[in-house]
Amino acid sequence: MSDGGIGAGVTYLFLFFSLYFEIFLLISFLERRRGHFPTTRTTPRQFPHVAVVVPCFNEGQTLGTTLHSLMALEYPREKIEILVVDDGSADDTLSIARSFAHDTRIRVFHKKNGGKHTAMNLALQNTQAELIGCLDADSTVDPKALLALLPVFENPSIAAVTPGIHVRDPQTILQHVQRVEYRLSIFNRFTFAGLGSVFITPGPFSFFRASVVRELGGWRHGHSTEDMEMALRMQQAGHLIANAPNAVVHTATPATLRALFHQRVRWTYGWLRNAIDYRFMIGNKRFGNLGLIILPSALVSIAAGIFFFTRILWNSLQETMHYITRVEATGSIASHASFNLFYINTSAILFLAMVSVGMIVVLIGTGSFIGTGSRRLPAATPLFLIFYGLLAPLWLCTATVRAVLKTGVRWR
Amino acid sequence: MEQPIVNTRNARWSNYIVAFFSTALIFATALYASNYFNNQRIEDIRATQETISTDILSLETQFDLLQEHSCSDISENTILPSALRTLASQLSYMEEQGARNHDEVARLKRLYSLLEIKDYLLMKQISAKCGLKPIFMLYFYSNKGDCEDCEKQGYVLTSLAEQYPQLRIYSFDYNLDVSALQTLISIDKVSEQLPALLINGKSYYGFQSVGDINKILPQLATLKAASSTSATSTKK
Repeated sequence: MSDGGIGAGVTYLFLFFSLYFEIFLLISFLERRRGHFPTTRTTPRQFPHVAVVVPCFNEGQTLGTTLHSLMALEYPREKIEILVVDDGSADDTLSIARSFAHDTRIRVFHKKNGGKHTAMNLALQNTQAELIGCLDADSTVDPKALLALLPVFENPSIAAVTPGIHVRDPQTILQHVQRVEYRLSIFNRFTFAGLGSVFITPGPFSFFRASVVRELGGWRHGHSTEDMEMALRMQQAGHLIANAPNAVVHTATPATLRALFHQRVRWTYGWLRNAIDYRFMIGNKRFGNLGLIILPSALVSIAAGIFFFTRILWNSLQETMHYITRVEATGSIASHASFNLFYINTSAILFLAMVSVGMIVVLIGTGSFIGTGSRRLPAATPLFLIFYGLLAPLWLCTATVRAVLKTGVRWR
Repeated sequence: MEQPIVNTRNARWSNYIVAFFSTALIFATALYASNYFNNQRIEDIRATQETISTDILSLETQFDLLQEHSCSDISENTILPSALRTLASQLSYMEEQGARNHDEVARLKRLYSLLEIKDYLLMKQISAKCGLKPIFMLYFYSNKGDCEDCEKQGYVLTSLAEQYPQLRIYSFDYNLDVSALQTLISIDKVSEQLPALLINGKSYYGFQSVGDINKILPQLATLKAASSTSATSTKK
C-alpha cells in the first residue's frame, strides 16, 4: 500500500479515527475500573414483580429449551410471570407453548403475525409487572441472570439494563468466529453503559421499567430493529440504560454464511435507518458521549469498513494484474525474487493498521475478562480478525445500498 | 458487578483529550519509524552507488593503464551488472513507495542513470580495445502513465538479465532530467515511441517479446549453451 495520494490520506484519516475510538473506549473502561463508579451488590434488596416476554414466530424447535431455562431462574415464583406470545407461527410453536401452561408462571398468547414489536406490546398490555424483559426464543438464560440484573434498577435514573450475551454452544467455524465477536460486544456494551451511551437493548434478556416503556408508547417496528429504536427513544427521553455483564445469556447464532449475511444486513440496515430517524442526536452535545462520539463512530466504522475493504480489493486486483502481465511477458509463473530486508514493507499505514488490530485483540481480551472472568482469548480470534475484515464489508455495502433505497428488510 | 452510570452520559473532556494525544503519539511514532526505515534504504542505495562509482573509477584507471598491460587483466564482467540491476530494483521499489522521499529518490535515480551511461561508454571503449563482444542493450521507458507496454517490457528484460548475466542491459527513464541522458537519446536518435530498445546500436520500438529478442540476438542461444555446458561440467 502506497503512502502517497488521496487514497492514503483517507486511509490515514480512518485509521486515526479507528485508533482514537479504540483508545477512548479503553481509557473509559480503565477509568471505570479504577473506581470512578461505585460498585454494587450482586443480589437485589427487594424482588419486584417481573415479566419475561418470549415472542415467537415459528420457534417450535427451540422454544422448549428457552422455557426450561426460564423456569429454572432463581426468583420467587409469585414475583415472576413468563408471557409466551405466538406471533402467528405456522409450525407447532403454539402447541409446544401450551404444553408448558401447567406451570402457573407461564401464560400463552396467540395473535396474528405482526412482527416482534406487536408481540411485545401485547404482552405489555397484559401484565402489571414493574419490570418487563424479553427473551428471544432462540436463547437461554443462566439461573442467576435475573438476580444479577435487578440491583441495577435500584438506581431510579435507569430505565433499562442489558445482559452479558454469549454464543450458545458454537459448532461451526462461523459460530466460533461469532463467539469472538460477542466477546468484543460484551466489552462495547459494558463500556458504552459506563458512558451512558447504550443504543441497543438486544432481544436476549434486556429488561425495562414497564412504566417507562408505556410512557414512551410501547415498542415500534424500528426498521426491523425494534431493540435499537427503543434504546434510542429512551436515550432521547433522557433515560439511562445500564449493562450487567454477569447476567449471562446464551443465544443461538447463524450457523451458515447465508444466515449470518441475512442477519447482519438486517442489523446494519436497521441501524442506518434508525440513525437517519434519530439524526438530531448525532454530534449533539445535549446527548453527551452518545451524541459526541458513540453514534458518530458507529456510522464512521461502516464507512471505514467499506473503504478499507475496497482499497484492499483494489490493491489485490492490481497485484494480480501485475502478476498476470509478468507471466504473459516472460512465460514463467515462478518469481525469481529472493528474500531481502530492503523490500520489507515498513510503511506507516501498515504499522498503524497493526496497532489498530492489536488494540482490537486487547478489547476482545477485556471483553472476555468482563464476560467470563478470564482474559484468555477465544481460539478463533485470528480467524475473526481475518474473517470480519473480509466479509463484514459485504453486508455493510448491501445494507448501505438498501438503506439508501429504503427497501426494508425481513426478519427471515 | 459494576453499578452503572450516574450522570455519566456527560462527556468527560479529559478522556477525549488523553485519547487524542495518545493516538497522535502513536501516529507520530509510526511516521517516524517509517521515515527512519526509508532513510535507511536511501543510505543503502547511496552505499551501493558509491561502490559502483568506485568500481567504474577503478576500471577507468585500469583502462588508462592498458597501454602498459594486457587486455587479459580486464574481463568484460568487471563492473557488476548485477549490482546495477539491484540498484535499479531498489530505486523502482522506492518510487512505488510514494512521495515522502521523492526528491531524494529522484536525485539517486539521476545519479544511477549517469553511472549507467558511464559504464556503457567505458565498456564500449574496453570492448573495442580488447576485441571483446559484449551484447549492449539500452532500454528506454516512461513511468508517466503514457507507456502501456513498458511494464511488460520491463518484465521481459528482467527475465533475460536473470537468464543471461552476460547481457549488459541499461534502462533509462526517457523523461529523466539528466543532460547526459538527453544527449545519449539525441546522439542515438531514440524517438519517443516507448518502450524503445537500442540493441548493439540499432533501435527497436514497441514491445519486444522474449521471442523477438531471441530473433534479434541469435547469439543468445550460444550464451545459453555455454551456461548449460558449464553447469554440466560443474556437476561432473
